[in-house]
Amino acid sequence: MRAATIQRVKRRVLREAVAENLDVIRGAPPRAVRPGNRIARIWLKRVPLLLVPLALGGAYLARGTSGGQAILPVQRGAPASAGQAGLPVLHETTTSIERVTSAAFPLAVKRVVLDAGHGGTDPGAIAADVIEKAITLDIGHRLHALLAKDGFEVITTRADDRTIALRERARVANESNSDIFVSIHVNSIVKHTASRGIETYYLGPTSDPSLTQLAAAENRVSGYSLGDMRKLLDGVYADARRDESFKLAGIVQQELYSKLRASDIGLENWGVKRAPFIVLVATDMPAILAEVGCLSNQQEAAMLNRAEYRQKIADALFAGIRAYASANDGPKKKGIPNHG
Amino acid sequence: MADILHVGIDLGTSRSAISASNGERFVVDSFVGWPLDMVARKVLKRDVLIGHEAVANRTMLDLHRPLERGLLKEGSDKDVEAVRELLLHLLRLVGVNGQNDAANVRAVVGVPAASLRTNKQYLRNSMKGIVDSLLIVSEPFAVAYGLDALLHTMIIDIGAGTTDFCVMKGRYPTEEDQRTLTIAGDSIDTQLLKLIEERYPQANVTVFMVRDWKEKHSFVGEPQSQVVVTAPVKGVPTEIDITNEMHAACETILPPVIETMIDLLARVEPEFQERVRTNIILSGGGGLIRGLPEALEGALKGVGGGKVRYMEDPVFVGSDGGLALAIDAPEGDWEKLTA
Repeated sequence: MRAATIQRVKRRVLREAVAENLDVIRGAPPRAVRPGNRIARIWLKRVPLLLVPLALGGAYLARGTSGGQAILPVQRGAPASAGQAGLPVLHETTTSIERVTSAAFPLAVKRVVLDAGHGGTDPGAIAADVIEKAITLDIGHRLHALLAKDGFEVITTRADDRTIALRERARVANESNSDIFVSIHVNSIVKHTASRGIETYYLGPTSDPSLTQLAAAENRVSGYSLGDMRKLLDGVYADARRDESFKLAGIVQQELYSKLRASDIGLENWGVKRAPFIVLVATDMPAILAEVGCLSNQQEAAMLNRAEYRQKIADALFAGIRAYASANDGPKKKGIPNHG
Repeated sequence: MADILHVGIDLGTSRSAISASNGERFVVDSFVGWPLDMVARKVLKRDVLIGHEAVANRTMLDLHRPLERGLLKEGSDKDVEAVRELLLHLLRLVGVNGQNDAANVRAVVGVPAASLRTNKQYLRNSMKGIVDSLLIVSEPFAVAYGLDALLHTMIIDIGAGTTDFCVMKGRYPTEEDQRTLTIAGDSIDTQLLKLIEERYPQANVTVFMVRDWKEKHSFVGEPQSQVVVTAPVKGVPTEIDITNEMHAACETILPPVIETMIDLLARVEPEFQERVRTNIILSGGGGLIRGLPEALEGALKGVGGGKVRYMEDPVFVGSDGGLALAIDAPEGDWEKLTA
């Protein structure tokens, strides 16, 4: 930039800085809400009206809860304490905003979306003759049968080996007006082939770079622009859906770990984690992504190649979904009226 | 002191700096402490301690960091008093003593962008009466002004309480040009302390020790050498290796910083995006994290590449910018900006 231009710009920004300070001295409204930005001004006037009932509801609900649950980041692959008879509760402070808690929505689980990860031209992880897209589809079919037999309505995002964009999967889930969304995936950690474990994700920001990379890898074929993403992400982290997703993820992870470890004593519990996978971002209902195994581990790959082990995974996922549905106070399944 | 003195002050969450037109420059830790009781007052022989002295004697003090997390807490008289004490202390350091001198001071105070957005009126009232004329600006703006980086530039100011982003578009930055993250130096300290405590449960480590270690050894990417520090273990000074913990803690800031940087870039008019990408300036103490410019440049490769510069003098870059603003502001404007 030429010196004359610099001086001109400097004079302008200095004038604006002084003007803003003079506004503050005079108690004038911020420039952003002056005439010329009428919509913003109208909204600023209306927001307090919207906040009053929300604040009252939030304050009321907060009495019966432990308050904003905070989640801590963990190292990817860090095993949970086996003695904790459950999951590592991960705490990470993300916001101090008062939230409406999930306790306000003890609703029924009738319809489940099953999302078998990858498919078609997107094989997912590959280990020798074991391909992620085939494993997830097979487990999806098995889980579908179990859920249907138990009276759940099941929607699948893919029923065969075809390419389905991530945003299309989210669209199917949202248009089906389903109650929960379960995405099935298989991990692959090529730098740590000795490790094998299971982990379950729900939507949330993560400060773990490896999880960001993982989410980026899974999201690459999403079809969303950065602008779309921003719109989707704005506001979703703080909503009540996160509480339900966290709860579902916890129950499913616990069932997966406790049931599969009986078949594989070396299996590690990598816990419940948060990450911004597109299918979790773009779906409207409580949503989780379960990494049910680890293809980069030779022993695990061999087990995943066996039908009986995949059935065990499906059984464990079913047990988790069933337990989550039972934990809610509303009608448990389609066709069963709520008398309570 | 009859002549007009122009000063630029960077009122930071961790450190505050002052640059004056008489050539003086000082930096102090942004801590203010009052003796807890009469005994402490007798020992310390002072009514208030500031900066390093306050930290060193913290066990005897009611210690405050007035802009912790980038905001001046409304309703906290102690925090307001702490801001005033801090400003008075900085002014004394450059030779401003008493009301007569203060009447001839033209001060530009740079504050974390978040505090300016949320409680600028409160902030201004808190500083009332300290100097004759006062202009408050956001810290990244002061940095940009001082560097003549006012057009097609992004400032990333990584402080203790906040990381401020500001895209300069040749105008005074609006809210849409700026972002603030509370992931910054303090969050690294918290994470590092937690990781060290997990690995060395017997070691007795405080956040103040961790902060010192971070300032000497912080890095992202590959370590250049092992980070070995001394901490008391059961009372015995013991060397502990915290290379992995330092690495993990420092890298926690990368994803949110990268995400915000790229998001702000995406909002720049397309024809100017490349110019902004190649004009990214790191300032603040966090800019001292070794490997950070390279890590950010690595992330920019995915959007066409870019250049991240690190300021050689990050401690005073904000206060120097404030001083430049103070000197450039016409006297007519200063008369209106009576504090």
